[in-house]
Amino acid sequence: MKGTLLFCLIVISSIFFYHADGQARKGGMTMAERVQQLSDMAAKKALLKFNGNKFRDYVKSTPRNYSVIVMFTAMAPQRQCMVCKHAHDEFTIVANSFKYSQSYSNKLFFAVVDFDEGSEVFQMMRLNTAPVFIHFPAKGKPKNTDTMDIQRIGFSAESIAKWIGERTDIQIRVFRPPNYSSTLALVFLFIFLAGLLYMRRNNLEFLYNKNLWAVGALFFCFMMVSGQMWNHIRGPPFFHKGQNGQISYIHGSSQGQLVIETYIVMVLNAAVVLGMILLTESANKNTDPKKKKVFAIAGLVLLTVFFSLILSVFRSKTQGYPYSFLFK
Amino acid sequence: MQQAGTKKSSAAPAEGKISNSSKAGIASLIVFVILLLAWIAGFSSRLFAVIRFESIIHEFDPWFNYRATAYMVKHGFYNFLNWFDERAWYPLGRIVGGTVYPGLMITSGSIHYVLHLLHINVHIRDICVFLAPVFSGLTAISTYLLTKELWSVGAGLFAACFIAIVPGYISRSVAGSYDNEGIAIFALQFTYYLWIKSVKTGSVFWAVMTSLSYFYMVSAWGGYVFIINLIPLHVFVLLLMGRFSNKLFTSYTTFYILGLIMSMQIPFVGFQPIRTSEHMAASGVFALIIAVATLKYLQSMLSKSEFKSLFIFGGMIAASVVFLTVVILTYAGYIAPWSGRFYSLWDTGYAKIHIPIIASVSEHQPTTWFSFFFDLHVLVATFPAGLWYCIRNINDERVFVVLYALSAVYFAGVMVRLMLTLTPVVCMLGGIAFSALLNNYLREDGNPSSIDESEKEDKRLYDKAGRIGVPRVPKHEQNESDPIGPNLRSIVIVVVMVLLMLFAVHCTWVTSNAYSSPSIVLASYSGDGTRQILDDFREAYFWLSQNTADEARVMSWWDYGYQIAGMANRTTLVDNNTWNNSHIALVGKAMSSNESAAYEIMTALDVDYVLVIFGGVIGYSGDDINKFLWMVRIAEGEHPKDIRESDYFTEHGEFRVDAEGSPTLLNCLMYKLSYYRFGELKLDYRSPAGFDRTRNAVIGNRDFQLTYLEEAYTTEHWLVRIYRVKKPDEFNRPRIPVANRVVKSGNFASKKNSKRRKGTIRNKPVVVKGKRPMK
Repeated sequence: MKGTLLFCLIVISSIFFYHADGQARKGGMTMAERVQQLSDMAAKKALLKFNGNKFRDYVKSTPRNYSVIVMFTAMAPQRQCMVCKHAHDEFTIVANSFKYSQSYSNKLFFAVVDFDEGSEVFQMMRLNTAPVFIHFPAKGKPKNTDTMDIQRIGFSAESIAKWIGERTDIQIRVFRPPNYSSTLALVFLFIFLAGLLYMRRNNLEFLYNKNLWAVGALFFCFMMVSGQMWNHIRGPPFFHKGQNGQISYIHGSSQGQLVIETYIVMVLNAAVVLGMILLTESANKNTDPKKKKVFAIAGLVLLTVFFSLILSVFRSKTQGYPYSFLFK
Repeated sequence: MQQAGTKKSSAAPAEGKISNSSKAGIASLIVFVILLLAWIAGFSSRLFAVIRFESIIHEFDPWFNYRATAYMVKHGFYNFLNWFDERAWYPLGRIVGGTVYPGLMITSGSIHYVLHLLHINVHIRDICVFLAPVFSGLTAISTYLLTKELWSVGAGLFAACFIAIVPGYISRSVAGSYDNEGIAIFALQFTYYLWIKSVKTGSVFWAVMTSLSYFYMVSAWGGYVFIINLIPLHVFVLLLMGRFSNKLFTSYTTFYILGLIMSMQIPFVGFQPIRTSEHMAASGVFALIIAVATLKYLQSMLSKSEFKSLFIFGGMIAASVVFLTVVILTYAGYIAPWSGRFYSLWDTGYAKIHIPIIASVSEHQPTTWFSFFFDLHVLVATFPAGLWYCIRNINDERVFVVLYALSAVYFAGVMVRLMLTLTPVVCMLGGIAFSALLNNYLREDGNPSSIDESEKEDKRLYDKAGRIGVPRVPKHEQNESDPIGPNLRSIVIVVVMVLLMLFAVHCTWVTSNAYSSPSIVLASYSGDGTRQILDDFREAYFWLSQNTADEARVMSWWDYGYQIAGMANRTTLVDNNTWNNSHIALVGKAMSSNESAAYEIMTALDVDYVLVIFGGVIGYSGDDINKFLWMVRIAEGEHPKDIRESDYFTEHGEFRVDAEGSPTLLNCLMYKLSYYRFGELKLDYRSPAGFDRTRNAVIGNRDFQLTYLEEAYTTEHWLVRIYRVKKPDEFNRPRIPVANRVVKSGNFASKKNSKRRKGTIRNKPVVVKGKRPMK
């Protein structure tokens, strides 16, 4: 008797719960319906916006025969998530590339869940950071590797596409809408230069100013010699913060460099060159005799002190380098 | 730099003499002596490797050059040009004659020929080893000539001394580094010298000499593209600056036509000079200079208004026709677009994304300020001063050196190997800077005889001659009206001398420590300073040559292809001539797959032996496990379905070989071949068994057996490990212990039963002794 009652209770409660649940889910769609609806939505807009309910309907429900890539983000201005905006742009590029690509199918959907619209989803997934990219595979639950490691591979569209390719075997060729901003900037620069030349067409003397050209050429040399191209290609940090909070400006090994370090080297190089030039000018016949001595002393000090400095920086980066000058 | 020291001190007494002698003959003797000493100093500072180890060819590419040279010496030049090397790139082979720059081989081959004509029997290997140091002296001389044309004799001597010992050039020209760059820098500098000479004189003779030298450069090094773009750039800038002259016209047109035709005689270059974008600038400038010359000519014939309209219309039509032709030809495929290596010079992110094989080579990396200072030392901080004075006192030929400096410094920033093209110009400008400085400081020394009395203007001082001699001059000779004062003057001179001395010792230190390792023989120093030679590479290659079949095919990563071919004389699959990316990717795929998948690839490629470099025992960091990610990346580029880079990382994105490493890594072929039996090895009593000294970790996958391969040879320090690939019949059959083996016997029924027995006679009478035969 007792057992029967318990059984009834379970049945009733389960019916009740199922019913309530079903109502919330618009009467439990079949998989075909869901795929149909998703495809319709995706046809309108490549990147689907999910709130809590939709997330449960389309992503959490089983069975599925499609994968969903979900970006969890916080786009609202008060959240002040600058990264989210970039990530969203890149993710949109991937979604659009997929939508207009050859391999477009209803096996893969792109969705975004905003914290302010679906905070319960964040709780459910135990997320407390944004943005996060998670791949929900067609079968089973997301594994560890189904969360994209932003720290390691970044979130550029190419790396997202590559990651998706690894997880789902769907290769997406990222097609970026061509970026005209650099071209525009170049055009404006040219217009500006041409305008400048036109404005000063009666007085083009400055083009024959050798000092101007020489300073430009020297600046270019300093930039290249101080490794700015390395910075441009490798993108090192500006300075390094140690574990104890002390800040180092010089990279410890000879293989790397910090951005601030290259600026320091640039200034040191420029000072040495200035010293050389001052020294040379100081003994020149045409220089004002009063300035000669000042030039000579200034040049000598610049040359020796700054060359010693650069040598000591170099020495600190080389193991077992025996030579130094003035400074250790 | 012991030699540099002796150079300076031995030069001093001679210079002392000239201070009271003003004969031109003495001056040229001084020049000769200094250049000779620079040559000797440069030559001897390149001999560290020979003295420490032996007269041996270094590294990777030199081994191919040496092999090709030896082939040429043995079989003659024409057989060399037609050489099809079936021992490389198995099963494709390589047409060597058509894919090398033969200048290097021809140079050493002809030296060998001449020496043998004189009955000096030198082995070709010694010529190859000492070729680059000898040519460094020639480079110094041509740098002297070029700088002399640009500035003054003193600057030239400075530049020659600098380039003789500067590490940026020594790095590619130590004894044994038998590579194209060794002779190409000489050809580069000499071509530029002749070009400057021909621009100055406008004579056809010098222009022809320029193109001949250019021809030599084309035959020697792919870097000739630098010349064929820099000279047109020079002409173009001169045109922009309104410095057109008939001299320029004569020299450029002569040089371009002859240089073009001659460069096309090199089989490897072939029709590239008229078909690829790298060479298009030269032809464009050729068309431009002819147009300018025509206009200049017409200007003298026509009135001003006629000329103006002609100029505008003609110029626009000509420009659009040229532009359209180039565009159409490019689209039609007659002009090839930029090749990857050149393209990556402009778009610096290009190689990283698209061509992993270019990005994987360490010398294609961008350059840190550290390497600039390491290779050039004081010159890197002073050459802009020389540049400054060149721009301030600009003339036709100084435009050239300015452009040379700016383009070379850009390229050196993008690619560390192009430091080589920057080094000469930095030496020249550094020479100019120091020469200008000392020139001013030594002038008012009350010693008018130090001024070169020849036709040169007073600026072109013979400062080098007085460089050392001056501090010895007693101070009371100083001019009274000198505002700087004698003390300050001598301090400045002493400081400059100290800087130059620091440069000399730095060069010696760098040469000795960084650039003098043959890299096929390693040396390690123990605590008490005794040296231990690790000769594992040659041990392994010698084993290969002695113990394997002549046609055996050895699979290894492409770094070791040339060495295997050169030292072991065995067939390789891929080598350092990385022309076929997909073939390399196949080898990379085999290395990064598991054993059974790799076996399929290896049988498809007929591999007999696999060679891996393993540094875990001695802590050698340049081994295959450390290069492994590049193999994966290159394989992934061609086979994205099978190989994924992320599979080789742990979940935290780390590349580790210990127990936490990714299972794909721990089971791939490269891992297994490197660490086979390593788990049993205990290196010393402190570290556990299987401790990898290179990566400071205990390996993760320790006790495994190889199914498809068997260990054939491991060298003394485990540096090279060679495995034999089993034939299919060697592993397909499961081994049964002897006790369980069943030999089929017992109810064995031969088909040859009594009826079907061969050769029997039916109804043959059976004869029994002592009985009558039965009928």
